[in-house]
Amino acid sequence: MFNTLKKIIQYPRLTQEYPKIINSTANFIGQPVIHPERCCFCGACAQRCPSQAIAFDGAARRIGINYDQCVFCVLCEDVCQSGAIRMTHCFELAERSRAKLRPDGSVLTESAAAEPNTADAKPTLVIHEADVPAMADEALTGELKKHIMKVFGRSLQIREVDSGSCNACDYEINALNNPVNDIERLGISFVASPRHADMLLVTGTATRNMQQALVKTYQATPDPKLVVAVGACACSGGIFRDSYATNNGIDSLIPVDVYIPGCPPRPQAIIYGILKALERVE
Amino acid sequence: MVTTMNTLNTNINLSNLKETLTDTFSAVELPNGCIKSENNTDSLGMQAKAVTDNILYFRVESDRIEPICTYIHKEWGYQLVLMFANDENEDELGTDLGYGLYYVFADKEYRILVTIKTVIGAAKPEVQSLSHTIQAAAGYEREIQDLFGIVPIGHPDAKRLVFHSNWPQGIYPLRKTFDVRSKLPMAKEEIRFRKVEGEGVFEIPVGPVHAGIIEPGHFRFSVAGEPIINLEAQLYYVHKGIEKLAEGQTLEKGLYLSERISGDETFANSLAYCQAIETISGSNVPERAEYMRVLFAELERLTSHLGDLGGVCLDAAYGFATFQFRMMRGWAYALADELCGMRFLRSVNTLGGMRKDFVKGKEASLIRQLEQIRSELEDTVSIVKSNSLFTDRVENTGILATPIAIDLNAVGPGGRASGVGYDVRRWFPYAAYDKLEVQIPEHNNGDINCRFNIKIEECFESIRLMVQAIETMPAGPVLEPITHVKPYHFAFGITEAPRGENIHWLMTGKNNTIYRYKIRTPSFCNWPALCYAVNGNIIPDFPLINKSFNLSYAGNDL
Ligand code: SF4
Ligand code: SF4
Repeated sequence: MFNTLKKIIQYPRLTQEYPKIINSTANFIGQPVIHPERCCFCGACAQRCPSQAIAFDGAARRIGINYDQCVFCVLCEDVCQSGAIRMTHCFELAERSRAKLRPDGSVLTESAAAEPNTADAKPTLVIHEADVPAMADEALTGELKKHIMKVFGRSLQIREVDSGSCNACDYEINALNNPVNDIERLGISFVASPRHADMLLVTGTATRNMQQALVKTYQATPDPKLVVAVGACACSGGIFRDSYATNNGIDSLIPVDVYIPGCPPRPQAIIYGILKALERVE
Repeated sequence: MVTTMNTLNTNINLSNLKETLTDTFSAVELPNGCIKSENNTDSLGMQAKAVTDNILYFRVESDRIEPICTYIHKEWGYQLVLMFANDENEDELGTDLGYGLYYVFADKEYRILVTIKTVIGAAKPEVQSLSHTIQAAAGYEREIQDLFGIVPIGHPDAKRLVFHSNWPQGIYPLRKTFDVRSKLPMAKEEIRFRKVEGEGVFEIPVGPVHAGIIEPGHFRFSVAGEPIINLEAQLYYVHKGIEKLAEGQTLEKGLYLSERISGDETFANSLAYCQAIETISGSNVPERAEYMRVLFAELERLTSHLGDLGGVCLDAAYGFATFQFRMMRGWAYALADELCGMRFLRSVNTLGGMRKDFVKGKEASLIRQLEQIRSELEDTVSIVKSNSLFTDRVENTGILATPIAIDLNAVGPGGRASGVGYDVRRWFPYAAYDKLEVQIPEHNNGDINCRFNIKIEECFESIRLMVQAIETMPAGPVLEPITHVKPYHFAFGITEAPRGENIHWLMTGKNNTIYRYKIRTPSFCNWPALCYAVNGNIIPDFPLINKSFNLSYAGNDL
């Protein structure tokens, strides 16, 4: 007992004060950024990007990264001969719409996604209208939105759903409860049942075997509710896009309010996304 | 790469072994590493580098499979460590067309891997089941039936494994004729669970969405009063088709896929993948990279074990210890961040070495931080060990008996806690493990307490190995890039993931692509072991037992 008390006194406080203070000492890998003015349009990055996240059109000299698909693998920085791509330390990437994560603001439709997925196939430039269910906006507009903020106030109950992840995203969500991040200090806690939840935090690609459970969990969550997609898989299918067993993003099944890119997103990136859904950050 | 050790013993065994198999069962020895012997030379006419002497392939007729496998398993006591199929119906593969079935046995004492291959004609895809004599075969046979449509005749319970009720009958995704992007309509089939009947027996269904922040899976408990008398786990909720997704992709893309098989085993999986390709290409990984791989692999083990230890404490409602372990885990993540900028050690390995020299200039700071974790771990463990309430809860709970652990080929801490003293790092050393001495803790009571202790001891051992690797790491380059590999060659990659033995088998296709990528993570072996270990325990202890194994769903479901 004495030793236990000693330990408690030894470490009075470990928690980082994100979002008040951003701890940026660590040299972690964040968002890749393309500087088109330096780009020689050789297309090497677009061809090799493992999740086909780079939208490239050599003839029109256009290039950009679809952050909802990017898995932050650093390959593009490494293969770029002209130094046009740089990995930054930026992690506050969450957005309220998937289109905002794309260079020309549009979302790939399923038909465009069905391009051949082989080694030498050219990735297509992002085009076509959004396939995000219209409900996402509907659920968050006008009065209802104000109502949600009033109801949830500064406290929020979250139910996490793994709909087919590699588990890294779930570990990062778990890390929100560790002494370093301690998300309860923000009035946010995790609950065991969707019936008690205000928000669903969904990871994974919504696999064929999980899609029914995901939709049922969504239906079991009382209104008003928020849905946050965590990680490249949940946003767009990530590296597991276009498989017989997965969906390209959970928004093909349920409406999503905030998308958090990353593979996996860091715990602080997830906090940022949650706060964004609550409109506590801009 | 698997190195040949114990040369003397191995040689004696190998000649006997070859003779028996070829004489008694008319097995034909196949060249190691390639599908046709003329493939064994590349365009320069060079002979492909022989991988090792102790990895053997034999080809037998399909009606011989049962006797030969039974013989190897029963007479020699070799474990069935892997079984998989490969669609070899492409003309370029030669004349022996059909579905290749591979049965991989390991002599863990003498470090021998024997693969028995048979080819099944596409017209009649069926084979005699082995599950009656080799229990560990049951899961593999069901998996192959779902993915390739090869029927295991006489299987005691050949129900679907990978696919749930929604998958249409008669469609097999790992056949080459199946297009990975097919979206099939949802079918409605029945899922049948084992029924336990009797007075007072209840069935409790749990999942797939669980109460905690964990992966999905469905459990069917049959209980009589409080004790569990049967548990059936329905997994594969997170089946993403990784093996199929890899086919036809570049070797480079395969690396990123392998990193995403299972979140906290990223490095072990990518290392197994790199190992397989490095073996096929016959290239040598620079020595500095080999030491660096040890460092990363042990860091991953430490992080994972600290998480498991915290998890067991959490499920035993021991808050103080939980937060201690979580704090240390946070430190381990910070260390990973400092090393490579990725908490999950992704984009660290590449084919032929490491992506960058991640260690240079950070040695002193790394050792200081490791020391900090070590001393904190010592303090915490001594406090936890003196808590008799906690010990009472974990002692003699969730026992996995040694014979069952052996039968099911339980691996990793789950096996070592039940007296199976096997660790890939010692028996099939890779990276720089043959230059560092690995201590392998052994316990044999098989309960939660043993698994808990194994993990604690392995944490200390990991820290010791990391410090040793940093101190003895030679200077030099870290990468010898691999740009080209021969088509239709194959190799194993074997690593010790935090959860245990991890085997990958990779066969290359044309133009540096993947023809077939078979992944078997430790969780595949240990899930059936967990289902045994819970029998006779009460339901409230299930989360605790489950946590003490901490199996990966993603790594199992693929
Ligand atoms: S960092 Fe993102 S954009 Fe760049 S290669 Fe990797 S996945 Fe593609
Ligand atoms: S986004 Fe990346 S880390 Fe998250 S589940 Fe998908 S593969 Fe894993």
